[in-house]
Order: sequence, then structure tokens, then C-alpha cells
Amino acid sequence: MTEPIIEVESVVKSFGGQRVIDGLSFAVNQGEIVGLLGPNGSGKTTTIRLLNGVISPDSGKIRISGMDPQTGGDEIRRRSGVMTESAGLYRNLTGKENLEFFARLYGVEKPNPRIRELLSDFGLEEHRSKKVGAYSTGMKKRLGIAKALLHSPALLFLDEPTTGLDPEGTRDLTRYITDLNRKYQVTIFICTHLLRQVEDVCRRFVFIAAGWVLDQGTLPEIENKYLGEVDLRVETELQVSGDSFLGFPIIHRKPGHYTFRVESKERIPEVLRAILAEAPLYTAEITGRDLETLYFKVRGDSR
Amino acid sequence: MKYQGMSFKAMDFKAMWAVAMKDMKAIGSNIQIWLPMLLLPIILAVVLPGVLIFGVRISGLQGIGNLDQIGRMLDSLPPGALRNEILTWREPLPQMVYFVVNYFFAPFFLIIPLMVASVISANSFAGEKEQQTLESLLFAPIDILSLFAGKLLASFLPAMAVALLCFVLYGVVVNISAFPLFHRLIFPAPNWWFLILWVIPFLSLLATFVNVFISAKVKGFQEAYQLSGLIILPVLALLFSQMAGVLFLDAMVLFWIGTILLLIDGILIKRIEHHLDRNKLFESQVG
Repeated sequence: MTEPIIEVESVVKSFGGQRVIDGLSFAVNQGEIVGLLGPNGSGKTTTIRLLNGVISPDSGKIRISGMDPQTGGDEIRRRSGVMTESAGLYRNLTGKENLEFFARLYGVEKPNPRIRELLSDFGLEEHRSKKVGAYSTGMKKRLGIAKALLHSPALLFLDEPTTGLDPEGTRDLTRYITDLNRKYQVTIFICTHLLRQVEDVCRRFVFIAAGWVLDQGTLPEIENKYLGEVDLRVETELQVSGDSFLGFPIIHRKPGHYTFRVESKERIPEVLRAILAEAPLYTAEITGRDLETLYFKVRGDSR
Repeated sequence: MKYQGMSFKAMDFKAMWAVAMKDMKAIGSNIQIWLPMLLLPIILAVVLPGVLIFGVRISGLQGIGNLDQIGRMLDSLPPGALRNEILTWREPLPQMVYFVVNYFFAPFFLIIPLMVASVISANSFAGEKEQQTLESLLFAPIDILSLFAGKLLASFLPAMAVALLCFVLYGVVVNISAFPLFHRLIFPAPNWWFLILWVIPFLSLLATFVNVFISAKVKGFQEAYQLSGLIILPVLALLFSQMAGVLFLDAMVLFWIGTILLLIDGILIKRIEHHLDRNKLFESQVG
């Protein structure tokens, strides 16, 4: 059984009388990639700050590898890497100087080979001597991630990691963090509102709004919970004249394609067998179960 | 709630030095910061005394505009070592030059490190907030005391360096320009050793301490810089009290000033750990 590396129980945090985190509870297991999803202002960044002991909760319990961020903060920060949304880099220093500075802060033992490796991994080698003030948004983002990885952390927090990255940058980053997780079992906690970019990366999702958890689970778990009816799109030579086929309503049709509404996933084999009994069937897929659709379902059902 | 690392024993000296070096490097690489910071001290410590001594050598005492005031100051010298020291010189011109070189200019050397320290230290935390880099530091495994000490060093060391540089340059300029009058070196008088080694370090430490603390509490540089100007007021009071003949910065006075500053520094250092933590530092940037 895997150990929870992050445990959050009934955490509350207010700023200036306004409650930003309102009874937040969730857990992340060792070696998982978890996405914290929610709209702007839902408390995602505040959660990262609380988990790293940068701010203290008003009430509730937080444990990172069994340690309280308020009393074991430096040890937690030594084991975790954080990339903030603004990347937090010094504009007047070069890319290499930024990494050298943070390597000293994090006590990296042999900083030079590590810095060279990260600059190369993130395609910044030829820009290493440029001041960060002259970097593009994407380059700053990549350097910010390199900074978070300098000390090879066991736990990585990424706050809106793909904002400002072009499609290639996003693809490279998602590949990199997936590899990092697979090869080194690094636990990765991603906060974002860009759902499509984390759909294939995260194994589990925590949906939050207004500082509390709406729901959490793997994609199939969320799907089972929120998608009662499913829409099944098939490519077939079947000819149907009415609005339904064996009692399954047809909600969309175009030549050679039908979309049926099925009460539950369990009845899909029944539909497919019936089609195959009458005509060739080329493709079949469930539509409307991507992360974005589920996100709105979770948000909608929780309102 | 007490945070881990909020004790002097747990300080991380490597991280502290990294912060100090990073800040000093940033100052050194920006001519717009260090040039004005160096220019005024050089004018006060090199140009002004040089011009003054050459001026009186060429035009005599009448060339000094506020001759009466300096004359009154000399007349009001209390009996004792300082008066005897000045009266070693029989003529009014060397008496006046000796007094100006060794006493009149002394308070300027208190202002020099204060000016340098306030520019750098006002920017210490406020600059991080404005650049949105404070959070990167707060997410790093550096305890707040080490971070504070790093910021302190980044202001204290340049302030001391400029003060010592000005002291050396001042010594060279006044000794060369006054040599034809005295035929020997007249600077430094004993009070300067107390000034440079006892008062200026503790005063610079106090100024940087107060200013870095203010910078940690306010949101931006402008606010921090305006508040940092307040620390110069007691020094101006010293300058004017000497000009008015109330208090002369001789060795004994400087010894006591330094001792008081040392005590204040000690109290502040002892109390700082109760007034700074990550949470407060974070919240200072948001409101």
C-alpha cells in the first residue's frame, strides 16, 4: 500500500477577513501525479503555499511526509521543488546565474553538472548567459521549472506550469514530468485551470472551488459518478429510419455515423452486439467524457 | 507559533552568504545604483576637504565664509585634551585646519555609510517584493533569520567598504594638501580610530538593521526608502551640536556613542527573531 505524502484535513485560511481556504481535505500518495483543478481564485496557489509552510493555516491539519509544514518547514522545502506561476526569477541575473544562486540556497552539492544538465534538458543552453529580463515568457517558465528541479526533489509542486508555453513547450514539459515520475517516482502536484494540458498527465484529480474540495478521484471514478448516461458514437453501415435503435435514442446522425444515448456504460456491449448483428461496425467511442466535460459536470452538480 | 529555524543556532550560513552575494552582485552590475552611491561620499570626503584646504592655503583664513562660526567653535572648546591638542599649533590657520580636518568633517563620515546603507537596505526585501521573487526565497529551505542576515550583510558590507574607502582617500587628500602647513601628517587624530573602528560599524549595523526590517514590513521600495531617511536625523543632530559647540566628537564622546550603539544593536538582534517569520513576510507583500 502506498503511503500518503501529502495529507490535508479540514484546513481553513483567511486573508483580511476573507476565507480563501474553507475546510480543504485531500491526500496525495507517494509517486502519484495529481492535478488540483479549479477556476481562478479557488485557492490553488494558496494551497501550495500552505503545503510548503510559507503561510500558516488558521485551523486544520497538514502533513507532508508526516511533517507539519509549520514546524518542519525547512525540511519539507529541502525535499520539495516549487514552480510558482510567475517563475520567481531575477531579471538582472542571467539564466545560469539564477540557477547558481538557487543551487546554493538549496545546498546542491555539485551544482555545475546539474545546471548544465537542466539547461540542456529545457533547451536553454544557448541562452544561459542572457539576462532573464530578455527571456520570452516560455523561456522564463522553462527556467522556472529547471530551478524547481535543481535539488532533485522527491515532491514537485507546479503552479500553472503550462501558462505561456507554446504547444511544443507544453508537449515537452508534459513528457518531461511524466518521465520524471516514471523514472524517479517523483510525486507531482499540479495546480491548473488548463484542463486539456493535464488530462493525460495526471492520474488523479482534485476539483476545488471557493477553497473547498468539490470532488476527487481518477478519471474513471469521476466518470462513473457523474456520467450516468453516455453518448456512444459509432461508424457503421447500419441503416436506421426512426429516432431510436432498439430503444436507444439517436441524438446525432450523419451518413455512416450515429450517436446513441445509452443509460450506462454497462449497456454499451449490448448496443455494439446489436449493431454487429445487422451491419459492419468500424469504430465506436464514448464522447463527452473528457476532463473538461467532467469538470463542468462536477462544478455543475456541486452548485 | 514558532517556526523551525527561528533561532540563531539553526542559521544556514551558506544560504545567508548566497543571498548577500546575489544582492551585492546586483548592485555591482548596475552603474545607475553604485555610481550615485559613490559620488556623494567622494564629494564629501575628497573634493570638499581638498578644495577647502587648498583654498585657505592660497587665500588665507579670510577665504573661508563662515570663519566666525569656526572661530567661535574653537573658542568654546572646553579645557582638556582636545583644547590642548588644537593649541599645539600656535597660528590660527593651522589650528583651524587641524580642527576642521580632524573634528569638523568627522560627522560627515557618519552620514556616508548611512546614505549607502539606506539605499541598499531599503531595496532589500522591498525589491524582492516588486520583482515577485520574494516567494521564490520563501519557498527555499532558508530560515528567515539567515535570509534577514544575508540582506543585512548585503547592505552593511558595501556601507563599511565605502566608509573605509572614503577614510583612506580623505587621509591621503588632507595629509597631502595640509602638508605644506604642518610639515607632518596631521590625520588621523586618535578620535578617528574610535570613529572608524567603533562607531561607524555599529552605526552602519543599526541603520541596515532598521532599514532591512522596514523593507521587510512595507510593500515597496519608495515606502521603505522614505522611512529609511529617519535614521539620519540623530546623526544630523550630532553634526549640528558640534557646529554649535555643544558636543565635540573627541575620542571619549565617540567611545560612548559607539557603546550605546552596540547596546542598541544587541537588543535589536536579540529581539528580531520574535518579529519576523515567513507568514508575516509573505503577508507584507500582499497587504
